[in-house]
Amino acid sequence: MVEIRFHGRGGQGTVVATILLAKAFFRDGYYVQSFPLFGVERRGAPVEAYLRLDSKEILIRSNVYTPDHVVVLDRTLLESIDVTLGLKTGGWILVNGPEPPAYLKSWSGYKVAIVDATHIALNNGLGTRTHPIVNTPMLGGLARVLGMPSMEAIAKAIQREVPSKPKANIKAAEMAYEEVRVLEAVKDSTSSSARA
Amino acid sequence: MASKEPLTNRSPLVIPCSYLTTEGNKTGSWRFLRPQYEEKTSPCSAACPSGEDIARIQMLTAQGSFKEAWETILVENPFPGVCGRVCYHPCELQCNRREFDEPVAIHTIERFLADTASRYELKFGLDKLAAKKQKIAVIGSGPSGLAAAYFLALLGYESDVFEALAEPGGVLRWGIPLYRLPPHILNEEVSRLQDFGVRIHCDKPVSQNFLKEAKKSYDAIFLGCGHSQSLPLSIPGEGLPGVEDGFHFLNKIRRGDIPTLEGTVAVIGGGNTAIDAARSAARLGAKVMVIYRRRQQDMRAFAEEVEMALEEGIEIRELETPVEIASQKGDLLVTLQKMRVAQEDLQGKARIKPLGRKREKIRVQHLFIAVGNTAAEDWYDLPSKTRGVTKLNNCVLEHRSREPVLVYGGDLAASIKSVVHAVASGKEAAMALDVLFKEGPKAMESRLKSCLVGEGPSLSMEIYLGGPRAKRNHSIVSYESLNTDYFRFAPAISRPRLLREERLQSFAEINLKIGGSLAIREAERCFNCGLCNQCDNCQLFCPEIAVIRDDNPQGRHINYDYCKGCGLCVVECPRNAMVLEEERL
Amino acid sequence: MKQVLEGSHAVAEAVRLARTQVISAYPITPQTHIVERLSEYCADSTLAAKFLRVESEHSALAALIGAASCGVRTFTATSSQGLALMHELLHWASGARLPIVMANVNRAMAPGWNIWADQTDSLAQRDTGWLQLYCEHSQEVFDTTIQAFRLAEWLNLPVMVILDAFFLSHTYEPVDVPRQNSVDRFLPSYQPRFKLDIEYPCAFNQLAPPNIYMEMRHNIQAAMDEALIFFDQVEDEFEDIIGRRYGPVEAVQCEDAEIILITSGTVTSTSRQVLTELRDKGEKAGLLKIKLFRPFPTKAIREHTASAKKIAVIDRNFSFGASGIFAQEIRAALCNHPGHPPVFGYVAGLGGRDVTTAVVEEIYWLTKGNDMPQPESIWVGLHEVDHAIGQS
Repeated sequence: MVEIRFHGRGGQGTVVATILLAKAFFRDGYYVQSFPLFGVERRGAPVEAYLRLDSKEILIRSNVYTPDHVVVLDRTLLESIDVTLGLKTGGWILVNGPEPPAYLKSWSGYKVAIVDATHIALNNGLGTRTHPIVNTPMLGGLARVLGMPSMEAIAKAIQREVPSKPKANIKAAEMAYEEVRVLEAVKDSTSSSARA
Repeated sequence: MASKEPLTNRSPLVIPCSYLTTEGNKTGSWRFLRPQYEEKTSPCSAACPSGEDIARIQMLTAQGSFKEAWETILVENPFPGVCGRVCYHPCELQCNRREFDEPVAIHTIERFLADTASRYELKFGLDKLAAKKQKIAVIGSGPSGLAAAYFLALLGYESDVFEALAEPGGVLRWGIPLYRLPPHILNEEVSRLQDFGVRIHCDKPVSQNFLKEAKKSYDAIFLGCGHSQSLPLSIPGEGLPGVEDGFHFLNKIRRGDIPTLEGTVAVIGGGNTAIDAARSAARLGAKVMVIYRRRQQDMRAFAEEVEMALEEGIEIRELETPVEIASQKGDLLVTLQKMRVAQEDLQGKARIKPLGRKREKIRVQHLFIAVGNTAAEDWYDLPSKTRGVTKLNNCVLEHRSREPVLVYGGDLAASIKSVVHAVASGKEAAMALDVLFKEGPKAMESRLKSCLVGEGPSLSMEIYLGGPRAKRNHSIVSYESLNTDYFRFAPAISRPRLLREERLQSFAEINLKIGGSLAIREAERCFNCGLCNQCDNCQLFCPEIAVIRDDNPQGRHINYDYCKGCGLCVVECPRNAMVLEEERL
Repeated sequence: MKQVLEGSHAVAEAVRLARTQVISAYPITPQTHIVERLSEYCADSTLAAKFLRVESEHSALAALIGAASCGVRTFTATSSQGLALMHELLHWASGARLPIVMANVNRAMAPGWNIWADQTDSLAQRDTGWLQLYCEHSQEVFDTTIQAFRLAEWLNLPVMVILDAFFLSHTYEPVDVPRQNSVDRFLPSYQPRFKLDIEYPCAFNQLAPPNIYMEMRHNIQAAMDEALIFFDQVEDEFEDIIGRRYGPVEAVQCEDAEIILITSGTVTSTSRQVLTELRDKGEKAGLLKIKLFRPFPTKAIREHTASAKKIAVIDRNFSFGASGIFAQEIRAALCNHPGHPPVFGYVAGLGGRDVTTAVVEEIYWLTKGNDMPQPESIWVGLHEVDHAIGQS
């Protein structure tokens, strides 16, 4: 079983990102389970959402405490939140940003990748400069570093579930897939141990 | 594990169920209190000197029945166009809505209805009663005379109105400035009266001889000659050039003889004539001050007019009275004695005394005196005798056997000198004469008393004629007796007016028209105190479904077979149009 | 077709496919997504139902009582305080024998304000005459909602379908949504046994004096007894058409188990995981899931626990002054049953506290380590509170 934790802010589409990813994995034949951090939701407040995937039925119905990977949609969260909390050694940290985050040094033992999802989102007309919609490009970046799910599955999930500008969202995911940069030694994501 | 055979034996179902009708249970037999529809009197209608059925007028307006609303005014007052402009609307002071937020703009609605009738050239459908043999002469075509002739015509009497001047209208034509009452409004209302059968003879000044002659051919004479003679100041210098009578000044303007005024104008007085003269002078370019011996709040002029005068830049000097006028280098030098408030009377009006010898001299170029008017001829004065004389609220009747009846009306006898009181006077006279001719002098008082709106003194012609209003309870609806849960706060419409700057440039009418939707919105604010406006609360709240809608004018009736007398309908009636009474056994 | 659905939307899909005719509800977290989705279906005519907006849960159920009395299929959903506000009318719906279906998302009762999973809200309504069905996952939520209409309409009793806050209501997972014609075959249109009809005016549920009231209550109990049989009947039909069944209880490896964990709701699912691990370690553990709480499946519980040495009941609920409510019911079911195993009661997961595999495991080992249960309930995972008021 693989557990992925998403960090974002209310209104950025963090929860939607996990749902899209769940649907993409489901399309690729996995059992999935996705849910937000249970509680009250407020625009702008830090939010978390989770995804479990497995090749067999998922029985566990408690929160995610020790994720295999984390995805950070808003790099300003790094100032206030330890995104590595509970993160399994060797897991991916995928951060939205144009350049390596300052925290890189403290992330030894993890694999780190960055993708400028904000830039990609704005180039594709998703959201505004102050409120870019970065969830779909982050999915593209994640698909690349994990080597799953397939971009076809992600495109299909976006096509079916995103009511506004599905084409631009797919394009953004694809661009992120191409542009994501791996900062640690691990380059060949397809051979990663991230397989479920 | 159960068998795969479908379950067919459903267990029986036990619930209470009845197919009997509950109609057999005549809950009306429990009743010891009986709710009934009973319309009551709205405070505004009782406060209206001419007793207009204001709550109903608002209701009809809110329903968009503008013609019916207009006709409802005409039953009680032939001059909605005039009164919608110049009346001082005491009705609004008594409006129950005042306790809630702001009074309904009744005055504005009246004007709107008159404007609408004029715009669509509506013809009113009031029927005259059967023709009577008595004829009446009316002296003076001011508001009281015309009202008397109109109401007499309604009651089936022929009358002739004699007017000294070339055009009818009296004070309405000669005393009220154009910016308050444009002449075409008056002309329209007068011609409607003429169409209704009122004969007006102009250029017929009435002398005592004429009166003697008239007594031969008429059964009654209504004297509505008004107070056209100005009172003097009785101080030295009153006759100097530059000192003028305020009322004549207004007459002159209305005749088109418009003087130019330069420099400073002082107007002496605190009544409407003083304010009208001051505001007219301001329109002619003068700097104007009003000098009044009491305080502004004690003025007899309508407060709204005083406020507008202040807006128009007129200065009001309180507690000063002129004691001498002198001429100096072409100017007038007026010596003013300062006054002080000695005490206040019950109405809060000041009683004043001179403040020692404190005096001030002011220099003005013109001075208008407007300290009150009186009757032009002494034979207009009220009879001093009491035998054969009946004093009513707004007129005095002198009736002796084999002599035509002499009625003193309008300003000669009215309790307050105002247009609407003049109308009330004419109406009272018409009703009194009708009783007198038909039932004799003794019946007059009790018959008129039965026509009071509320406790009076206003009279209702509709009640006199036995219309639906006659069924109404005379008790006046208080604010406390309303169920205001059903009303929403809503401010009154702001009455559209010319800008202050526009006003001073001409004599154009200040108050502007409002449209139908605005009028409806305002009329909807009316609580319709004491009247049923078919809101249906009684029907909605009746737990026994005993309020039955029908086609009668009430729109509904109570089925007493089932009404158990709980009184919910009465409590939930927002406007106190129902009453709960003990069942008479 | 299988699709990834939120638990709340699984309910909404079932209500849509059931061709529900009248829906009335008042929003409350975490139930809101259910009626939100249904209101969209009503608005865009995906579902030809009348959606009644009301000012409270009390009114929502009152509206459905009126609608159901007219012989139409009805649904509402609520949670926690909303369910408590319905309390009076819960009795009315069952007493009037109206087949109303409700989804209740288990949420803790306030205060303190808590929107998370806790079964006390629905269990506090156990005596109102409603059938209660506790679900483990979204597929079961979907299937049970469809079945609930069949149960309700046959028995003339209202049915509550119950799902955990967030762990089900807000979790997306694959759910198989059958085709409309399959659902139609299983659930034909509602044929009421009585209804208000303006052609034949009548009054229901007027005064029931002492000479009839007791019979009415007994009649409801008779219907509850019938429900225990009819539940299997319904599952047979459902299995034939849709291909799934759950049972009023589900015994997992109970035959040879020495310690049986008894669970309900999502704790069952997590416990299945623990069970596998325990069995892998050679532990003789079993798991008994209770789905049907009203009527209480006493017979089935007695049968499945007959050979166990100990029973450990996990309650995500509590009855103050007594114990966890499932534990109470199970003790009552077993007490007159000769040779029954001792019942260990555990309280865990109140107010949404996570019941992890570690918690379930701890409960197992606690049970194994004690011969007899000591207190009525053991509260699992309590920690020191350092902000109590009134202490110097």
